[in-house]
Amino acid sequence: MPQAGKGRLNYRCPSCFMRDLDIDMFYDREKDEYYCIRCQFTGKEEDVLRLNEMCRFRYKSMMKRITEFD
Amino acid sequence: MGKFILNIIHRPEMVPEYAEKITGHGKKEDISRKSLLTESLDIFKLQQEIAHENGLKTTIQMTYSSLFNEEAIELAKEHHEKYGDEIGLTLLGLPCKEFREKYKTKDFCIWMFSPEDKKSIVNDVFEKFYEVFGFYPESTGSYYMDAELINYIKEKYPTVKCAVASCWEEGPKAYRTCNNSWYTFLDGGPWNPWIPSKQNTHAPAANESEDSGIVAIPHLSRDLLACFDGNGSNFGTHPQNVLRGMIYKDGEYPYLYNLIDQYRSLEKYNNGFAYNMMFVGPGWMNKMGRWEAPYELLVKSYRDGMAYYASLKRKGELVDMTMSEFADWFRDNKSYTEPQCALWKDILYGSEKQLFWYADPFMRTCVDMNQGGALIDLRPYVAKLERPVGIDTGNVHDASYPYLIQSMYRAGYFTHYAGEGSIKSCKISYKGEEVDLCLCRTKARFTQDGKDRILTLDPVDIEFSDLTIKLASTFTFTENTGEIRISRKITESSNPEAKVTVNEYMTACYGTTEYPEDMTGIRLICKGENETKGIDYRYRCREETVERVVFVQAVVPQVNTRVTMMPLNGEMTGYIREGYAFSPMYTLGLTTELSKNEEMITCLRLEKAD
Repeated sequence: MPQAGKGRLNYRCPSCFMRDLDIDMFYDREKDEYYCIRCQFTGKEEDVLRLNEMCRFRYKSMMKRITEFD
Repeated sequence: MGKFILNIIHRPEMVPEYAEKITGHGKKEDISRKSLLTESLDIFKLQQEIAHENGLKTTIQMTYSSLFNEEAIELAKEHHEKYGDEIGLTLLGLPCKEFREKYKTKDFCIWMFSPEDKKSIVNDVFEKFYEVFGFYPESTGSYYMDAELINYIKEKYPTVKCAVASCWEEGPKAYRTCNNSWYTFLDGGPWNPWIPSKQNTHAPAANESEDSGIVAIPHLSRDLLACFDGNGSNFGTHPQNVLRGMIYKDGEYPYLYNLIDQYRSLEKYNNGFAYNMMFVGPGWMNKMGRWEAPYELLVKSYRDGMAYYASLKRKGELVDMTMSEFADWFRDNKSYTEPQCALWKDILYGSEKQLFWYADPFMRTCVDMNQGGALIDLRPYVAKLERPVGIDTGNVHDASYPYLIQSMYRAGYFTHYAGEGSIKSCKISYKGEEVDLCLCRTKARFTQDGKDRILTLDPVDIEFSDLTIKLASTFTFTENTGEIRISRKITESSNPEAKVTVNEYMTACYGTTEYPEDMTGIRLICKGENETKGIDYRYRCREETVERVVFVQAVVPQVNTRVTMMPLNGEMTGYIREGYAFSPMYTLGLTTELSKNEEMITCLRLEKAD
């Protein structure tokens, strides 16, 4: 099995992101999956994208344009 | 009408941070790789182009490496002539072949070098700059500029009047977020421009004798709520930071504009002054993309950010300045003692939380309306702590200004199982029941009356089993005193005759990180009209009380600070409380009894201990 590399983009581990850790994942070509070297997360690209959406759960005002600050 | 001033800074960083790691993955490190240098310069050119297309001027902070690159030099000269851009000199971007050959190190953060190396590096880069441009720069900067470094630069190169001097709340949180590999421990400074003291960069100068001679600007304008709790690098006027935080959807990021607009709104609290700083290193617009954001989105976000500033400028609501222009403006319009104030609201999480930040030459503090007006951060700037940083100083990394209270690092109201956390709040008790105002969520409004900045909180309801009261809190910060006056008044009561006990307290410690420090040596004093009691801290869980108290006080020699609480009206009882190993805190408290329409006024004062 050859060494892992970076994927198309530098996806971060969504599980670590949710605990405020920015960690690049590495890509295993044979399994076609990303994996985290710190925690136990593994997932396909679509899993990462889906979980990245979940990471945004705390940003309730993310898409709201706010103009009053009083 | 206020004045919203913008500094845009670009640096031609020939070896951008991150870029070598990202673009070079799978290749042996080579910082002189041609493709890396070409791409770096292209990104700088693009950033300049975007600013100029939008009619905005920039400060070009030349890096040491760029001073060896003819194209970068010619571009800087051309843009200075054509667009009025300032040519400054940053101490970021040191890594290059020439630097590594001379200094034999991969270090790149100027504040971490030894005192001798700092001077040598400053001499090298400033003299190289002079050799290239024929003049010395008026602005410089890094992620952090320690006081000894600033003092040396000012002495040797007095033309320098402005510097990027710190990143707000970039400390243990950023370290952790970067998998414990990003060693910028810079917590505890002001969030908006200030004049640093000669003794400590974070602590603003109180007068001319303390004046370091420069105007400091923060590295980015950061979210004063999100960055206090979370990773600072996600929540600032840095479009790609916003992408890093995943605060966008379908290529849109209204949060960025909300952040800029909230900074604009701060003119209400600062005599009409509002400020923004945008400084994006080239590594953030890498062709390989940055984390999950593709190059196209990275560039779009930069274009959008600049376009928003440009739209404000067209409406006459923004003035773009170079760093040295800004320093002149700041000197002409601001005094040493004028505080910075920010009544900041949550613009991201939908919590409606509101914080009030205050900074002056005596202190930095934060009042949390979501905890009934508790002080959740307190830094004794008055101590003007001299804390050299860098190799050979005995303190290689920790450039943070120490706190007495930091409720995120040191628990605050909520602790697990036992002990207390650092916070200043108030407890109300009646017939064996007790309520801490930390559990009374409220809002506040700001007013200014001469030298007083007044924070008035909406009254909160406190319910006991057979009594309900309404309690109003007011915080008054009087300029140039190092004091906060705190009023607690019962405005309504279901039983006007009932007396409740009000306990104004402060539980504190000291430190710069999340970890406890040795409290031995702290002296607690409780002075009454007739007696004085004291405790020398030895973790023995002792407590002393005096009637008719004059003041309660803690002297914390580790941070050369004396913190005092005293009654300003009526008779009160004072107490001091030592902690224990599982609760390494001390508590100062004042208590009295109040009924309807009665008020307790106390004062918190910070002083240098010796």
